[in-house]
Amino acid sequence: MIRFAFAQVLAHRLRLALTVVAVMLGVAFVTGSLVLNDTAQKLFDDQFATASAGADVTVRTATAFDSGMGVEVERDPLPAATLDSVRDVDAVTDAVPVAKGAARLEQGTTDLGSVQLSTWVDEPVGAYPLRDGAAPTSDGEIVIDKNTADALGLRIGDAVTVVGDTRVDARVVGLVGFGDGDGPPVGAVALSTLTTAQSVLGLGDGLSEILVTSELTAGELQPLLADVLADDVQVATAQDLAAAGAEQAAANLEMLQVVLIAMSVAALIIGAFLIANTFAIVISQRTRELAVIRATGATGKQVLASVLVEALLVGALASTVGVLLGIVSTYGLRALAGVFGVSIPSGELVIETRTVIIALTVGVLVTLVSAVGPARRAAAVSPLAAMRSSAAETRGLGRGRLITGTVLLVAGSAVAALPGVAAGPVLLLGAGLVLALVGVVMIAPSALRPLVSLVGAASARTVPGQLAREAALRAPRRTSATVMALAFGLALMSFVSIVGGSVKAATGEQYREVIAADVVIESAGQEMLGGVHAAVYDEVRDVPAVGVATRLKYGHWKDGKTTSALTGLDPELITEVAQIRMVDGDIAALSAGGVVIAERVATERELAVCVELPMTFARLGETTLPIVGIIADGPAQALQTDFFVSLDTYGDLFTEDMDASIFVLAAAGTSPAELSTALETALEDHPTVQVRDQAAVIAGRTQTVDQIFGLVTVLLAFAMVIAVLGIANTLALSIVERTREIGVLRSVGMSRRSVALMVQAEAVIVSVVAVITGLLLGIAASVAAIGALSTIAPLRMEVPVAQLAVLAGVVAVAGLLAGIAPAARAAKLPVLEAIAHA
Amino acid sequence: MSTTFAIEATDLVKTYGTGDTTVRALDHASLSIRRGRFTAIMGPSGSGKSTMMHAMAGLDTVDSGSIRLGETELVGMSEKQRTLLRRTHVGFIFQQYNLVPALTAEENIALPLRLAGQKVDKDWMLELAATLGIADRLTHRPSELSGGQQQRVAVARALISRPEVVFADEPTGALDSRSSQALLAFLRRAASELWQTIVMVTHDPSAAAYADRVEFLSDGEVIDGHDNPTAATVLERMARFDAERQGVAA
Repeated sequence: MIRFAFAQVLAHRLRLALTVVAVMLGVAFVTGSLVLNDTAQKLFDDQFATASAGADVTVRTATAFDSGMGVEVERDPLPAATLDSVRDVDAVTDAVPVAKGAARLEQGTTDLGSVQLSTWVDEPVGAYPLRDGAAPTSDGEIVIDKNTADALGLRIGDAVTVVGDTRVDARVVGLVGFGDGDGPPVGAVALSTLTTAQSVLGLGDGLSEILVTSELTAGELQPLLADVLADDVQVATAQDLAAAGAEQAAANLEMLQVVLIAMSVAALIIGAFLIANTFAIVISQRTRELAVIRATGATGKQVLASVLVEALLVGALASTVGVLLGIVSTYGLRALAGVFGVSIPSGELVIETRTVIIALTVGVLVTLVSAVGPARRAAAVSPLAAMRSSAAETRGLGRGRLITGTVLLVAGSAVAALPGVAAGPVLLLGAGLVLALVGVVMIAPSALRPLVSLVGAASARTVPGQLAREAALRAPRRTSATVMALAFGLALMSFVSIVGGSVKAATGEQYREVIAADVVIESAGQEMLGGVHAAVYDEVRDVPAVGVATRLKYGHWKDGKTTSALTGLDPELITEVAQIRMVDGDIAALSAGGVVIAERVATERELAVCVELPMTFARLGETTLPIVGIIADGPAQALQTDFFVSLDTYGDLFTEDMDASIFVLAAAGTSPAELSTALETALEDHPTVQVRDQAAVIAGRTQTVDQIFGLVTVLLAFAMVIAVLGIANTLALSIVERTREIGVLRSVGMSRRSVALMVQAEAVIVSVVAVITGLLLGIAASVAAIGALSTIAPLRMEVPVAQLAVLAGVVAVAGLLAGIAPAARAAKLPVLEAIAHA
Repeated sequence: MSTTFAIEATDLVKTYGTGDTTVRALDHASLSIRRGRFTAIMGPSGSGKSTMMHAMAGLDTVDSGSIRLGETELVGMSEKQRTLLRRTHVGFIFQQYNLVPALTAEENIALPLRLAGQKVDKDWMLELAATLGIADRLTHRPSELSGGQQQRVAVARALISRPEVVFADEPTGALDSRSSQALLAFLRRAASELWQTIVMVTHDPSAAAYADRVEFLSDGEVIDGHDNPTAATVLERMARFDAERQGVAA
């Protein structure tokens, strides 16, 4: 039977081509996601490892945690005297002082973007080998990494301004690489002398860290240094630093990882429908042949095995090609993610054995599982079928299947609705949706019948239309699998579109309700903690058009095991620029210290005013703050965090001196537009600072939603192409099955055009049913998701009608296009041969 | 202009393949079919009788010659013109009943007219159904009908448009003898009572005996024919053939 399976694969290679493509795409997605993740992870790891590899240990200020939400926490500078203490230790061979921090490059009036400014350290302790020119030896000289120089068009000898706390004019004297590469995988690097870095970054004579080398091992050296240094100074080995970096990398990639894995699963599900369909069709075509085999003595089990072996062969072949394709497509994915604003470092691909094994296994398993249904039907073919002239699909669906499907659908829907109704855990939502989907797939052949009939009724006035409708109804399994492949893709897209749209609408609404400020000043960059220099605030206040201006700062703290954000604000001024609705206490109480928390947090953890909240800060370690008020969820979300402290308290807790944003109200008699213009003029010297009106702020805050939607749409589009090819395949095969019928129709006077029309009509019926089903599924899932999410944040269902209409239109047109080739083929069938077709 | 002949096929040549594998299916064959008569075409396998019928029905083309169906010259017509002609001027009965499984008996019968966008003559449909004994089966799908009933639906479909000619290709090939006799008797009556021209290809002498005339084909040529055949005259003529052929071979 195995040889039989081989022969079948070869004989039906064209028909199986689509199966191969479907499996391939899913496997390629899985491979691409894994490779991309591993690669990005390794590059981030390497960056940290390479940066610290030259020194045995690094001395820096201790913090309670290293990174929050993918951002390395800024540390206090070390006093200059620490360097002497370190050098005094006998075992220390060399100790190199380093000042580093975030800065910006400008050339003339052009903003060249942000760079990591650090201190030049000779190799091998330093990680930046000189590629061209010379090292910076005096103040006003910098080197930058070659990649950045190439990208910005900077050359040795060019004059630039390094902007940090102060502005320092400098000349590019050399270009550096990083490790083996021409620059760090992420970001840009500029290196200067210690004093230049210190003055740009406003560190005085303070140091960011001291790189120490020794004859001893890092493990032996560590305690020796720790002994002589104060408790708030950390002595970290290269491994520690690399580990901290790895954590940061993981956090950075989390969103992309989730999107890619979800897309892989979606592609595999769509693939599964097509695989099941192709096998079902191939087998229904072979009914006679299978019956002959059965009649000559093959058992049902042998037939089953032969079909499964066939599936195995197809799955293995397709998965292998898929893995290769996935590796190649990683480059494309990386570029794609970049287009949508998710930056992934460039560098050599990391292909783990695990990736290959997972992708191959998944591909083969999906193929096998999808082929089980058709294989069982093949095994059920009776030897008598060989004697019958036709073996059209007339068998109804088992009632067991219908009942199981309905139960799953109802149970799944109930579970999915639970978080929204009874405030259960959101995790239930996913589980419920998956259950419901399985139920839908099971009952689809029966449930779609009335819909197919209804949609077909519109076309049934003409003979070709009527025949198309009958053809779609006659093979419910085939029609439903084709419909579901397309509908599932559309459902996912509309789900993302509706949920995204609702989130966007809610964000905007809340913002407009709460924030009264005419203008908000924010950084143009996407800095986690805000990138508005403290000096900007002073300049803003001096603008005559400004009535009220108040600054907000963001900071990270460790809340148990998770990293949380808090907002530092001015308790007096904030009420003038925002509607602060309090559930308990008063925001003004923050002036005396303490923290205000959001209602949601208070309810969830049963916290009340006067309770001491334990919080861990990078600099201070664990501490507690008294809760002085509880703020309503709406204003909390508009201000973007769940925890609020006064600016004074913030100053005690954090060293960061960047403002996240400045809220500005116009002076009496000044319009918001005039205010914007006045501020833009006043802030001309700060190119990265942007003056935004309400609409621009909302757009900025919902940018991530757009990014995710864009990425998901493009990725799903690939899967949809395959689903559309599925329609073409199904039609082509259905035509092969109906060859003789078409011959008869032609012989009694149906024109070629009418035959083509008939096939095209079936494609249209299938696409329209898929569009309706997809939209319904998408909307239903969105209702459940929004219900569940609204327990976390106030959300209202917002259906982006235009967006959905475009999606539906594209899918419908795609379905129409899918019918063209099969229709042409059907029209070309020679009449006589078609009639003679067995 | 001819009123006595429904079809006049003259000097038809049709070859398949090229070079050494060339098969001459029709070799200067000529045949005239009388209007309102039931004509049987007989001949051994490969004699070209099916090709002849397909050509006369406009299902297939010929390399050269002339086929006049009524007043219309078929040779040189485009595929589309032939399709339009088939809808209304020609009816078909196949060995495999070849009904459209998705349509009911009534819809199958009306199919050629609906394709042509013409109104179905309801009285004619009912008369045909009654005569063929399928009046109570009209709402059924082909899968719910017996073989004989299916073939009678196919006959009704062939006759519904009152075509110039009905072609029947081994119409009894898949039927039992009782159904066969009933069907042949109906075709006989359709010719004599309804003045319907019928051309039937068959290899069964007793089926040919129902016809007004029998024509014999051999090696792509019409070689003989006679009126009012009986099973005996047909058998006798065929036996002579075989003898002649063996004589040639020897």
